[in-house]
Amino acid sequence: MSRFCVLLSFVLLAGIARAQDDQTRRDRPVGQQMNFGKTTPGQESHGPARAGDELWSAVILATNAPVPKAAPVALRAYVPQLSRLFGYNQFEYIGSDSQKITDGTEARLAPTKSLWMSVKARRATSKEARGGYLLNLQLYRDEKPLVDTEARLAPGSPMFIRGPQYGNGQIIVVLQIQ
Amino acid sequence: MKPFEERFTAWVDGQLSGDELAEFEKELAQHPDAASERAAAQKFTKLLREHSTAPALTNAEFFNLQIQQHITTSEAQGRAVGKPAGWFWSLPRLILAGAACLVVAGLLFKTLIPTKDHSRGLATSPYFAQVIEVWPSEPGIWANTVYNPDQNVTVVWLDGLDYIPASYELK
Repeated sequence: MSRFCVLLSFVLLAGIARAQDDQTRRDRPVGQQMNFGKTTPGQESHGPARAGDELWSAVILATNAPVPKAAPVALRAYVPQLSRLFGYNQFEYIGSDSQKITDGTEARLAPTKSLWMSVKARRATSKEARGGYLLNLQLYRDEKPLVDTEARLAPGSPMFIRGPQYGNGQIIVVLQIQ
Repeated sequence: MKPFEERFTAWVDGQLSGDELAEFEKELAQHPDAASERAAAQKFTKLLREHSTAPALTNAEFFNLQIQQHITTSEAQGRAVGKPAGWFWSLPRLILAGAACLVVAGLLFKTLIPTKDHSRGLATSPYFAQVIEVWPSEPGIWANTVYNPDQNVTVVWLDGLDYIPASYELK
């Protein structure tokens, strides 16, 4: 009987450990999955860019206004979340830019003269990316680099960058594949 | 000298005599209930003597045989009870133990393993923006990633950037 109990305990513990490991992987938010280490070649496979895919970027000024103006159409779905995150109620375009995606080629997106970015996109064939791209992005203010980022974006899923304070508002940079 | 209890018993039974009886009866002056106790004991002894006859056994052989059989059966049961256990439990005990283990396993599964399937939610959510790495370009700039799975917004959060006055032309 003692052998039976020991065996059953092992099976139970192994099952619980595996289930919790799976659950931890499933629960980990996408943004927290970054490990601040290089992605190994085996983790990401790439395919050719699809014709017609575009990288679209915009610089937005978030402010607080007594009577906020309607947000740009492309952002309306995200206004409640952005309001909660940044604490502003009005979001206005300062400028936008878009570029056709050429696989592995560096593109310059300049939604404004001052804030611009250099982006290199490669097709990500991972299931989660759903036909999206692996991006290497450098954000600049004038000629000064601010941040270098590696990200995966699915089409229609914008990524936001909290930029500098501007006047009494906040600059937010949006990047999306469309 | 004999103890008082022994001499009292002998006195009740009428076995004291001579000096010993005289001396004991002097001692009894300190025990006023002695006479009544002696009377009660003598009455009880008389009753036992009058009614102590046991009934005669009509089938003594058969009675002895019954007793021997009863003793034999009791000894066999005693040996069965004292028999050392085998290396494993009996089948009913095994079934009971298995059922108990299943109940414990079920309880552990229910309490320890969350049932909400987040991966299904992620798989069906149209939103996917994942920051793999982020490197600030200067030591004074801090970069973090903010992502809330319920809100489906991914933000690269930069701190330490220079303030831009409103007079500065961004466009």
